[in-house]
Amino acid sequence: MRTINMRTALLEALNEEMERDETTLIFGEDVGKFGGINKVTQGLYEKYGNRVFDTPIAEPTIIAAAVGMAITGNARPIPELQFGDFAGIAFDEIFNKMGKWRFMHGGQMEMPITLRLPVGIAGGAGPEHSQSPQALFMHGPGLHIAIPSTPYDAKGLLKTAIRDNNAVLFFEHKILYDMKGEVPEEEYLIPLGKADIKREGSDVTIIATALQVHTALEAAEDLVADGVEVEVVDPRTLAPLDMETILSSVRKTGRVLIVHEESKTGGSGAEITAQIQEEALFDLAAPIRRIGSPDVPIAQNIYLEQFYRPSKEQIIQAVNDLMEY
Amino acid sequence: MAEIYKKEIQLKDYPKDVLLNFYRTMVKIRKFDENLIRLMQEGKVSGFYHSGIGSEGLSAGSIRENLRDEDYIYYNHRGCNQKIAKGVPLSKIYGDFLGTTEGTTKGLGAGIVHSADPARGVMGQAGTIGSQLGIGIGTAYASKFKGTDQVTVIYFGDGAASREMLHGSLNWAGLYNLPVIYICENNEYAISCHVSETHAVREHIADWAYGYGIPNCVVDGNDVLLMHEATKEAVERAKRGEGPTFIEAQTFRHRGHFEGDPYDYVDGELLKDWKENKDPIRNFVSRLLLDKVTDEQELKTIDQEVEQEILEAIKKAESAPQPEPGRIYEGLFA
Ligand SMILES: Cc1ncc(C[n+]2csc(CCOP(=O)(O)OP(=O)(O)O)c2C)c(N)n1
Repeated sequence: MRTINMRTALLEALNEEMERDETTLIFGEDVGKFGGINKVTQGLYEKYGNRVFDTPIAEPTIIAAAVGMAITGNARPIPELQFGDFAGIAFDEIFNKMGKWRFMHGGQMEMPITLRLPVGIAGGAGPEHSQSPQALFMHGPGLHIAIPSTPYDAKGLLKTAIRDNNAVLFFEHKILYDMKGEVPEEEYLIPLGKADIKREGSDVTIIATALQVHTALEAAEDLVADGVEVEVVDPRTLAPLDMETILSSVRKTGRVLIVHEESKTGGSGAEITAQIQEEALFDLAAPIRRIGSPDVPIAQNIYLEQFYRPSKEQIIQAVNDLMEY
Repeated sequence: MAEIYKKEIQLKDYPKDVLLNFYRTMVKIRKFDENLIRLMQEGKVSGFYHSGIGSEGLSAGSIRENLRDEDYIYYNHRGCNQKIAKGVPLSKIYGDFLGTTEGTTKGLGAGIVHSADPARGVMGQAGTIGSQLGIGIGTAYASKFKGTDQVTVIYFGDGAASREMLHGSLNWAGLYNLPVIYICENNEYAISCHVSETHAVREHIADWAYGYGIPNCVVDGNDVLLMHEATKEAVERAKRGEGPTFIEAQTFRHRGHFEGDPYDYVDGELLKDWKENKDPIRNFVSRLLLDKVTDEQELKTIDQEVEQEILEAIKKAESAPQPEPGRIYEGLFA
């Protein structure tokens, strides 16, 4: 099968869905002629003209406008924020409007928005351009949250998100844009709410998202030498969250490590931990462990930056601790 | 609607040392920038850098002779220009870029955003561009509350001017008659978008201020003396308790949005014209020489002194250590 990077996979998904459905619209800062600062929308303006447009730097208005477009039923907006951190600027529009407008008006409208948000620590981008704010939105009802780790997942999930009649927050880790993986030529979709087992194993379940899936897989390879078989589960969407797959893995291994780049406190791992212990406490052979970023803002210094991102060494250490428990 | 700020300026009305200080400040800004880009090319500085080459006149003119240490500024993301004009030591700014403990953040690393030097009134910058438009209002309010004559100057780009916050900020400034000066560095582009593609203003960004009852003007930001005069009037107005002013300063980026931007969305001829005919330093030099304020030799001496100062600053910043990993846990709470 051909291999392409995640940027190309996302661009293919956007292109195919723009072609398929004339009501799709892409907008955001520099997404037009410039092709987006991460080049995910490159060439779409040339192809689709006014269905792809540059907006002023006004994040609340970008999201609010998407909500207004969506509820008419005449448009399927696919806005982009240049950095996922800027969700903070448009918090009311995302949290209170995108997530709730439909419900609070009696479910009479649809909210077919796919909001693309680049996230993650990547080369000294600093405390307001490096965060992974996805867990914030697990707390707000009405929002789907996708967070792919491979080009294959990214393409299949993005296509589904665009066709979905609900609001989807689509988080893309900046480091993954250049990471390659197998993607078939023919069309496919990946459902929201279906986790993927990225590696099978019998001793420990690692639940990881985005870039950390790869770190976990590397750690798992190293752990084979110690005779430990790690299973790596990638939820792929945090909402809906596929607890069924997670729980069946947990019941098999009895040991759980959750790894993500979000700050540890209140990260998605906190919720997943709580749900596992509600459902499967007595299947556990050891307490659930979590690795997240420390609870401090992310430094701009790239030397310091590495101390935030979960490392292979930390994962190996935590798995060994679990095995010895 | 916004008026174009015009004033007949005679060089002889200025003391020579003031004129040479303007020159020195602009050269310092440019050489700082050129050397920083060199450090980036040598792989010593990473991350994003937004070069301020081409708009030195705007910062040197507005700050150098107008603002005291106790006056506050919020620089923009092209704002090493403003930090330097306000007197932040060069080694500290380089230290932030190099991520050494010499930096103002003591190794946390920063650079264009997040350096701060409160003792010199440099209060920081938001990575979410334009957010300083709101924070600066608080600073100005605090000065008024305390009854000081401190002035707050907020720098921001034409792109940042489309942030909703500008309107909230202008409304407060007008409503509470705050000692705040808005300086919009209009270099025509916000990354790839021309100002005409993203603004529904009558003619100038400064027109918005009119709606909030705030005195405003449009000024040639590449004319250091004009910039000085326009800001001086605004500072005096603020100190007299007469409230805010909005200055839209026109300039242009010589380089792309960030280092590495191919900058192919701008017409080559236009860029050439700004570089060759509207360069703030070059034009100021011509004027100084024409009026015989100084001679080439004296200017060259200044250049050499600045170059020396820069190399020493880099050395100082580079020879300071990297922070300990524990640095990331310091400073979150008082
Ligand atoms: C709120 C926010 N939106 C978007 C960005 C990304 N961004 C950084 S600089 C920039 C363009 C700014 O243009 P302008 O204000 O005109 O300043 P210039 O770069 O032209 O000096 C953008 C979109 C950001 N940092 N913050």
